[in-house]
Amino acid sequence: MLDARLREHLTGFAEVVVAIVAGMVIGGLVMVIGGYNPVNAYYQLFVPSLTTGYGVEMTLSFATPIILTALTFAVGVRAGLFNIGAEGQMYMGALGAVLFGAISIPSILYLPLEFIVAAVLGMIWGIIAGILKAYRGVNEVVSTIMLNWIAYWIVESMRVYVIPNPVDASKTVSVPPAGRLPLLVEGTELSAAIIISILVLAFTYFLLWKTAVGYEIRAVGYNPLASKYGGISVRRVALYSFIIGGFTAGIAGFCEVAGRPPSYAITTGLSNLVGLGFDGLTVSLIGYNHPVGILLASIFIGAMKAGSRNMQIYARVPLEMVQTVQGLIIIALSIPGLLRIISRKIGGVR
Amino acid sequence: MPSENIVEMRGIVKVYPDGTVALRGVDFDLREGEIHGLLGENGAGKTTLMKILAGVLKPTRGVIKVHGRRVVFSNPSDALKLGIGMVAQYPALVPVFTAGENIFLGLSRRMVSRERLVKLMNETGLKVELEAVAESLPMGVRQKIEVLKMLYRGVRVLILDEPTTNLTPVETEELFATLKKLRDQGVSVVFISHKLKEALAITDRITVLRRGVVAGVVETSRTNPEELAKLMVGREILFEIKKKSVKPGGEVLTVEDLWVRGDGGEWAVRGVSLAVRKGEIFGVAGVEGNGQKELVEAVTGLRRVEKGRVVFLGRDVTNSDPQELYKLGLSHIPEDRVAMGLIVNMSIIENAILGLHRSREFVNNFGIFKNRRMVEHTLKLIKEYEIVAGNLNNPARSLSGGNQQRLVLARELSKNPSLIVASNPTRGLDVASTEYIRRRLVDLRDQGKAILLVSADLDEILELSDRIAVMYEGRFMGVLDSKEADVRLIGLMMGGYTLEQARGMRVV
Repeated sequence: MLDARLREHLTGFAEVVVAIVAGMVIGGLVMVIGGYNPVNAYYQLFVPSLTTGYGVEMTLSFATPIILTALTFAVGVRAGLFNIGAEGQMYMGALGAVLFGAISIPSILYLPLEFIVAAVLGMIWGIIAGILKAYRGVNEVVSTIMLNWIAYWIVESMRVYVIPNPVDASKTVSVPPAGRLPLLVEGTELSAAIIISILVLAFTYFLLWKTAVGYEIRAVGYNPLASKYGGISVRRVALYSFIIGGFTAGIAGFCEVAGRPPSYAITTGLSNLVGLGFDGLTVSLIGYNHPVGILLASIFIGAMKAGSRNMQIYARVPLEMVQTVQGLIIIALSIPGLLRIISRKIGGVR
Repeated sequence: MPSENIVEMRGIVKVYPDGTVALRGVDFDLREGEIHGLLGENGAGKTTLMKILAGVLKPTRGVIKVHGRRVVFSNPSDALKLGIGMVAQYPALVPVFTAGENIFLGLSRRMVSRERLVKLMNETGLKVELEAVAESLPMGVRQKIEVLKMLYRGVRVLILDEPTTNLTPVETEELFATLKKLRDQGVSVVFISHKLKEALAITDRITVLRRGVVAGVVETSRTNPEELAKLMVGREILFEIKKKSVKPGGEVLTVEDLWVRGDGGEWAVRGVSLAVRKGEIFGVAGVEGNGQKELVEAVTGLRRVEKGRVVFLGRDVTNSDPQELYKLGLSHIPEDRVAMGLIVNMSIIENAILGLHRSREFVNNFGIFKNRRMVEHTLKLIKEYEIVAGNLNNPARSLSGGNQQRLVLARELSKNPSLIVASNPTRGLDVASTEYIRRRLVDLRDQGKAILLVSADLDEILELSDRIAVMYEGRFMGVLDSKEADVRLIGLMMGGYTLEQARGMRVV
């Protein structure tokens, strides 16, 4: 008989494969109805972005922030929380990093200070929802959505009134070259941010599975009653989870500002940031809220983002159709993970 | 004597989708008008076999014949059409419906006849108030409703899965009387149980299952508890647990005038006082739902104490959190190991340190786990408590019920406690595990530990306790020495009589 754990992993993997195939078949049908060649379209969507050097580099640069925002959601789910505040926490992190474009400090301090301030602002934004949840019982979905919007408008007004770019009205000040992460491959958007992202991923994995704090987080997520019985403070765990989540989301903001050419700033309407938090939610769901799954899923989603241009140019599929097809695949992929969370919320233990 | 076989099952094999083999070729005969006991430990396959007969599960292999004709059921209503119906272990009634509505639920309008139901109630002696709302009724009555539901649908083969689990002694007697009446009317009853006494008291024949095979079929009148126990577990079991006489020492736990609210805000514990001394087992008996759960939770730091005091080793620990109590030497063996005692989705190793996960033994100064220590600890528990476990990284739910409970017990006792609070510690366990756990508790008592044992299993209370309190509607009906305790006295107290009243009734 197969080992129980291995069997579970295989089942999870099989579910993902089935979901990808199902999503692609439905998307393919839509394309056929629309009069496009699905085979060529899918080829252009995935193959260049996963096989060519430039494609892979783009894929990874798209994956970089999503890995981090996915961790925010994953650490929440592990603690039994539905933290969808990665978006706002990431905005605040980006703000924390970009502030250094406006001040002059010794050049060696730029990157570490950007990192620290971004992380701290992200954590503060997370901990607000955490405190509301732990001490006043405020539903975290409601509070994080509201905090997302508050963060959006704080950053947007800062862009206009406090740190506008003197030469380009469409963005904030850019961080100076000393405050930018080095590019790994010249001429691409792939910077050392990917390394930071993967280190944070590894750190989170370690934290969740090798430390007492992670143990408590997972315990509460699985069974709050048994956790309480085991002497774990459910309140404290909610705080931990929001702090860790805010940290990774804040780093995502830092990576987008310090590690993403060409702007190294926040653009009008936060257009270079908007959606990265929710992409993370998707990635976390696809990856079963597990760091390894998140890594694979973020590469998959990154590849789709990178391949969307190819699909438009070489398969002549219009943008709207590309987005429809991608949406269908993502929805299909999220279903198994979503069902697991729902059944956990409803069914309790089993 | 009736002798015709109404049901014949031949070579029944059941393999669950996850590969578990529940039945390995079982033959089962049911005669017309008999009460047939189906006896076996947990996991022997009793329920599986009967679910197959009731059309709930499909057999992997094997033949079912009803009245000599071969049948294949694809769902429970197929079985019901042939007059076979099963009542599950826990009554599954719609809580807000009345008894009558529950009985008629799912029937077409022309099938609904109040007169017919009243007639049925009179014939069988199963009388329930049809207008009463199900959730307000005691378990015993709910069970009657379930049985009526089946009989109203014309069931001639009635399967009852551990029907006495939630019943008081009086309710159990009533149920038995009803079953005998039904038998005399020609109904065949399958009585699933792991309680030897009950099987001996009520059945005509007994089939004993052991690990998915038939260990024996016996006439009840020609067997005895020892033989049945041997068939069930495959070895002799000692029923009497020998207790050394230990002179109890000082008070370890003192509870004074404790008032605790239930989940709905109502008073669940109303002024309970007790003292547990070193080297004694203080048993709290009572029908479930009379405040025992709330009492245990209040004492173990899981529920707020509204009024009164809890003193542990001379320190006031009223409303302390569990972690503090553990540090002082409390071990809590909770009733529901799946809901509270274990985090079944986490690994066996992780469960072995629940509550100890912050201790210096298992984490270093940075809060990082010492993996080797954790594994060593787990292996020690497994060895010492004879836990059957596969890969230690597998989730705890991969363990059987008995082994899960052993793991909880092992973990709690590894804390070297001075007070053990055990709540229904053997519920749902097979004979071997039950015996093992009871023995352990007595050993601990002999070593001078204080034990607060709360159990709905009267045999357990009588067998283990040195002093016994009976809880009824949040109060103690009295505390008596185990030497003067007997089933009748305690049964009366469980039914709401105080000790004095119960003693008085005995004289009459």
